[in-house]
Amino acid sequence: MTTTAPGRRAAEPAAPADPPGGRSNRRAFTRRRALTIGAFLAPAFIAVAVFTYYPMLVGSLGAFRTWTIYNVADQPWSGLDNFRTILADPLFYGTVMNTIVWVVGSIVPQFVIGFALALWMRRKFRFRGLYQALVFFPWAISGFLIGVLFRWMFNSEFGVINDLLLRSGLVESPLPWLASPALAMPAVIIANIWYGVTFFAIMILAALQSVPDELYEAAALDGAGKVRVFWNVTVPYIRTTLALTVLLRTIWIFNFPDLIFGMTAGGPGGRTHIVTSYMIEITQQGEYGRASALGLIVMLVLAIFAVFYLLATREKKEAYR
Amino acid sequence: MKHRSASFVAMMAAGALALTGCSGSTGDDGDVTLQMVETLTNPARQEILQELIAGFEEENPGVTVELVSPPTEQALTTVQQMLQAGNGVDVLEVQDSTVGPFTSNDWLYDMNDDLADWEGWDALTPNAAAFANQEGPTYLIPYGFYGLSLFYRTDLIEEAGFDGPPKSWDEMIEMASAINDPSANTYGYAFRGGTNGSSNAVAIITAYAADEIDPENAFLLADGSSVFATDEAQDAMDDYLDLFTNGSPPSSIAWGYPEMVQGFASGSTAFLLQDPEVIATIRDDSTLEEDQWSTTPLLVGPSGKAAQPLASAGWGVAESSEHKEEAVALIEYLSTGEAPLTFAKGNSLVPILTSAEDDPFFSEGPWATYVAMNEDPDTYMNVIQPRSVSWWQEWQEKSDRELQSVLLGEMTSEELLAEWDTYWSEKYASEE
Repeated sequence: MTTTAPGRRAAEPAAPADPPGGRSNRRAFTRRRALTIGAFLAPAFIAVAVFTYYPMLVGSLGAFRTWTIYNVADQPWSGLDNFRTILADPLFYGTVMNTIVWVVGSIVPQFVIGFALALWMRRKFRFRGLYQALVFFPWAISGFLIGVLFRWMFNSEFGVINDLLLRSGLVESPLPWLASPALAMPAVIIANIWYGVTFFAIMILAALQSVPDELYEAAALDGAGKVRVFWNVTVPYIRTTLALTVLLRTIWIFNFPDLIFGMTAGGPGGRTHIVTSYMIEITQQGEYGRASALGLIVMLVLAIFAVFYLLATREKKEAYR
Repeated sequence: MKHRSASFVAMMAAGALALTGCSGSTGDDGDVTLQMVETLTNPARQEILQELIAGFEEENPGVTVELVSPPTEQALTTVQQMLQAGNGVDVLEVQDSTVGPFTSNDWLYDMNDDLADWEGWDALTPNAAAFANQEGPTYLIPYGFYGLSLFYRTDLIEEAGFDGPPKSWDEMIEMASAINDPSANTYGYAFRGGTNGSSNAVAIITAYAADEIDPENAFLLADGSSVFATDEAQDAMDDYLDLFTNGSPPSSIAWGYPEMVQGFASGSTAFLLQDPEVIATIRDDSTLEEDQWSTTPLLVGPSGKAAQPLASAGWGVAESSEHKEEAVALIEYLSTGEAPLTFAKGNSLVPILTSAEDDPFFSEGPWATYVAMNEDPDTYMNVIQPRSVSWWQEWQEKSDRELQSVLLGEMTSEELLAEWDTYWSEKYASEE
């Protein structure tokens, strides 16, 4: 596939004839052109460098300094002390375990339900556009606000969820959702599933709409049943989108302490604390150096996912070529 | 040529972007604009502040005050960045938990010399004068105080056959347990197990150890050891857990401020230990009639005393301000005469002026409890908690989490108190 590119490029210079005046004139033109392109790109590069990479670099260097709110002007180097403090903190390992449960527990149901919704919305029915808009709506609400809403819904005494469970006779006494170590994590995960399903639904729906109808017609002619068509036509065709969406969402859910903060603030007893909500807690304590160190650890872990993501995008680009 | 002008435009755009962030300065016609930054904000509060600011501007022609109200969640970060940048702040809200970091970074201006001849000192309550530190350095003048009182449902305790509210923690446990009826979704005490849960645990611990604690640092005894190692602390925790098990909703492990207030207002719980701001919240709540609830002083321990942790916030001047004189004048205005009373009423705060006792707003109804506690400082000792130490926020999060572990039965109260004692002893030792 890559062999086509050089061939195409080689053919280009042959088409326009060299302007009179020869090579030097052409070089001047190229230089000026390069300058123009550079100048147009400069604002974007400067913006990204100033507002993204510079703060990121300074923040990362903070991980190796004693940097607290009590003396922001003086930040002496402290080597790996911040990392040692984090790795010696038993709470850190608890948050790592919680993070794994939080990410896996959220992403699998989000994916399955989102896929199902997408398959359903692909069919034409009345008010499909309105329905799609409604499905997408939760994505527009802030995570913290969703946390606060679900905090009330899961409230043991006044919450609508216990009320429904009691009325339907599924439970005999109210469940202490956010007060129980066994139920708190499922509760925040349920809230996150509600929130994240929409992203999968929309992404997968877009991918499904790209599957040519001819493929389905051909499969039908060959006598393939619905299940067979799903596994042998639909899934292989949108495989890359599925992988990309899952990878992207993994990174986002990992980095999504907002909902937890609004709902449980990491409680009870740290049972819903994930690594990133723990990082916020350390920041609130004014321990910026330690928070940066934890941030770097998170970044390294997420970089692994990002590499997979980039590999998958490349595969996707090549598939479209 | 065309290309060159295009490059020029792009370069200019890049330059403009790179320069964003540099701000201008005040007008050059002699007029002064003060930037006033608040860190605890809501629309009603902004309205009151704007009213007071208008009064100040009227008395001080040529001075304009711009109120900056960053959203509460980001307010501290925003104000820190402004102070670090060294511009954009003249007057700012300083909380007892932020005065430590702000002064250690030299961000606050010592107003003591400017206030040497201030007439307002004599009108302040002893607590307010102590917080403003008349001997200097004066980094803030408080605008009001928070302080605990017990809110109780008159209807619920009457139904349970009691004559009046509890006066001690012992009576509280007895009454809460009697009222507690989970099958009817009625509970005694709105227990605080969630965010800031440890503050109420500390309230009962310091009440039990009131005879021994150092009022200047309620976490320590006179000999400098921590209050958490005392036998009284253990008795207090035992009783407190008894109150949780027998008189409170089991789910209150996760209760923070909103759940506690909702529980009380909805009639799910009969008692609530809270700050005076709840008075305004409940008055605005149409579900509760005035005669269904009231307040009573903070509960005493076996010693017959209670330790009232004074929490406060106030107004200070930024060291980097170029208009310190006008900034101090604004703070004087906000702390004298009617202004501080208007602010305290509107924000449900214990006022800073002695004259408030003659104001029917504060001397009648639920506010009378605060006047009563003020008049009996031997029983309701005013104590100061070490909120300005650098580990205060860490302590709050750690102690909340550990209290939850005890409520969940994953840790004993003995282990908890030993852990808290070690924590404070080590922190103070490392500071020396």
